[in-house]
Amino acid sequence: MFRTDEIIKASKLPPEGVAMSRKIDYIYFIPILFVTIVGTFHMHTALLCGDWDFWLDWKDRQWWPIVTPVTLITFCAAIQYYNWVNYRQPFGATLCILALGAGKWIAVYTSWWWWSNYPPNFVMPATAIPGALVLDITLLLTRNWTLTAVIGAWMFAALFYPSNWPIFAYSHTPLVVDGALLSWADYMGFMYVRTGTPEYIRMIEVGSLRTFGGHSTMISAFFSAFASSLTYILWWQFGKFFCTSYFYITDDRQRTTKVYDVFAFATLGPQGDKAKLSGGKA
Amino acid sequence: MTAKHVFKLWMIRLCGVVTLAATPALDITPAFAHGERSQEPFLRMRTVNWYDTEWVGKTTPVNGVTELKGKFHLSEDWPRAVVKPTRTFINVGSPSSVFVRLSSKVNGTPMFVSGPMEIGRDYEYIVKLKARLPGHHHIHPMFAVKEAGPIAGPGGWMDITGRYEDFTNPIKTLTNETFDSETMGSMTGIGWHIWWIALGIFWVGFFAIRPMYLIRARVLAAYGDEILLDPIDRKVGVAVLVLTLTVVVVGYMAAEAKHPISVPLQAGEAKIKPMPIKPNPLTVDVIHAEYDVPGRALRMTLHATNNGTQPVTIGEFTTAGIRFTNKFGASRVDPNYPAELVASAGLTMDNEAPIQPGQTVDIKVESKDVLWEVQRLVDILHDPDQRFAGLFLSWTDSGERLINPVWAPVLPVFTRMGA
Repeated sequence: MFRTDEIIKASKLPPEGVAMSRKIDYIYFIPILFVTIVGTFHMHTALLCGDWDFWLDWKDRQWWPIVTPVTLITFCAAIQYYNWVNYRQPFGATLCILALGAGKWIAVYTSWWWWSNYPPNFVMPATAIPGALVLDITLLLTRNWTLTAVIGAWMFAALFYPSNWPIFAYSHTPLVVDGALLSWADYMGFMYVRTGTPEYIRMIEVGSLRTFGGHSTMISAFFSAFASSLTYILWWQFGKFFCTSYFYITDDRQRTTKVYDVFAFATLGPQGDKAKLSGGKA
Repeated sequence: MTAKHVFKLWMIRLCGVVTLAATPALDITPAFAHGERSQEPFLRMRTVNWYDTEWVGKTTPVNGVTELKGKFHLSEDWPRAVVKPTRTFINVGSPSSVFVRLSSKVNGTPMFVSGPMEIGRDYEYIVKLKARLPGHHHIHPMFAVKEAGPIAGPGGWMDITGRYEDFTNPIKTLTNETFDSETMGSMTGIGWHIWWIALGIFWVGFFAIRPMYLIRARVLAAYGDEILLDPIDRKVGVAVLVLTLTVVVVGYMAAEAKHPISVPLQAGEAKIKPMPIKPNPLTVDVIHAEYDVPGRALRMTLHATNNGTQPVTIGEFTTAGIRFTNKFGASRVDPNYPAELVASAGLTMDNEAPIQPGQTVDIKVESKDVLWEVQRLVDILHDPDQRFAGLFLSWTDSGERLINPVWAPVLPVFTRMGA
């Protein structure tokens, strides 16, 4: 079914090398890569769009679908670069969002429920997995990061609101308390006291976007898609900057060359009498 | 390494182990406070002057409904360093959501969202609370000011008895459905998350079951990506793409069908009128104030005029939720008010006699108690503008209570009298 045998043969690794590479895969993939993304990406998200993702009564039609995708596509782009350019693996974005989800669900039950006693429905996180899948598959099908930035990143943001609506639609059910109209989400935010988070902290459809014909969600989604495309490009370049390996060799005529082929490090390195390694990352 | 060095090293290690081992044996009690005393005294004294605070029902069973209520005056001496209360919210300071707040009214107007309030005016709040988490809880009213932060009022203890497992909070919506705030939407949300996580794991797992990193990197460096891009990856990719888009569209339409009536989040502004200004025949001005640091006393010289028809007796000075009373005022303190916030003999005057109608007097008043230190109000002396504010409470002979806000600069006295 797969081309695995062909790929292994092309790698020219001996059987023990192949077995060792799989062990490295497992050790590197789960304990190192996944857990690192859980920690860093979860922190990044909490700092940049934390309240929008924590609280039910922050998920408005305007800022939530803008702030969240733009924040989430960052790591997706950088990890996609790393996985695609170095290994042609098209799962960087999905891996990031899964890792983020792991962090979020740990937080829902440890920080919010066990520690702070907020019910899970009040701190239900949003999902970005559908958008991440589309982003990864766009990269796989187009093999082109620019097209992925235009199509995939756009879809990543545009799908955010509709894919979360089944989870949160009920929270927009109206109710009347003391003669005031509220959505269920508003009342949840009111009922579950947050001492350090008074109501005015929320940003609910603040700004002039609502004046464009009243279609807040559509306009927000479109703007979010545009902003996500730009963010994707920027963070792909961050990925490139931080994930590109190279080293320098200086030959016996004192000519210094920058080498990007990291596998050449092993073969050039021992020729110390002819080439001198220096600087760079390898 | 000499024997001496080895000995020192092992002694240090031993100390560390002993410290760790002894920790559980130490008398460690839970912390109940919210750090309210660490809030700067100028914030607590010169912004919100709380009075008549009442923690109704000291013990409430789970699911029982109780109230936190009281009044406050927004001080005329509002600090320059604090943003004016153009956007405020009456909140509850509690260790997590031990109560759910069913409603909150300020001067009879519901305050679900924030709104402006006026400096120099009084407001009455009633917060209706439903007991949720059993325990012994320290509850404060709080006045949150946008860009200034929450300002804690006096804290009182409220007990909740029973079991959390018995807590329910069913609420009827405008669509005639009944939602329980503890559970509504949880299983739907978790179900959708499980579905998407499963699909995500499938996608990553589809590539993880094959060599992932080292082998592919070698092949990519040697031959480019033609070998690596397996045709089946593209087929599965297209299938997952179609499945994802289909589920998103179907899920969206199903949610729309299930919840056809919805409103956006509501975030207007509460329009709250202050309490009417009550005629007050007594005028009180502070013409001199000093804080005696070693004596833990705020001494004031009041210039008071009684323009009324009845004698008036001063009984209490309150600031930052702390109440300094003389004998006359002490008898009028609600016995349920937290004793740790009352200095029942903390107010002395050089002339305790009632102020007669038409009389103008200068009275030397001393509010003296260790509470100045305990509640960390002494830190006023470290402020860039050393001032205080508070309320004087006095009563006419017929029992009518008069409230006079006061404020003034404070001069520090660092040495004992005569020293």
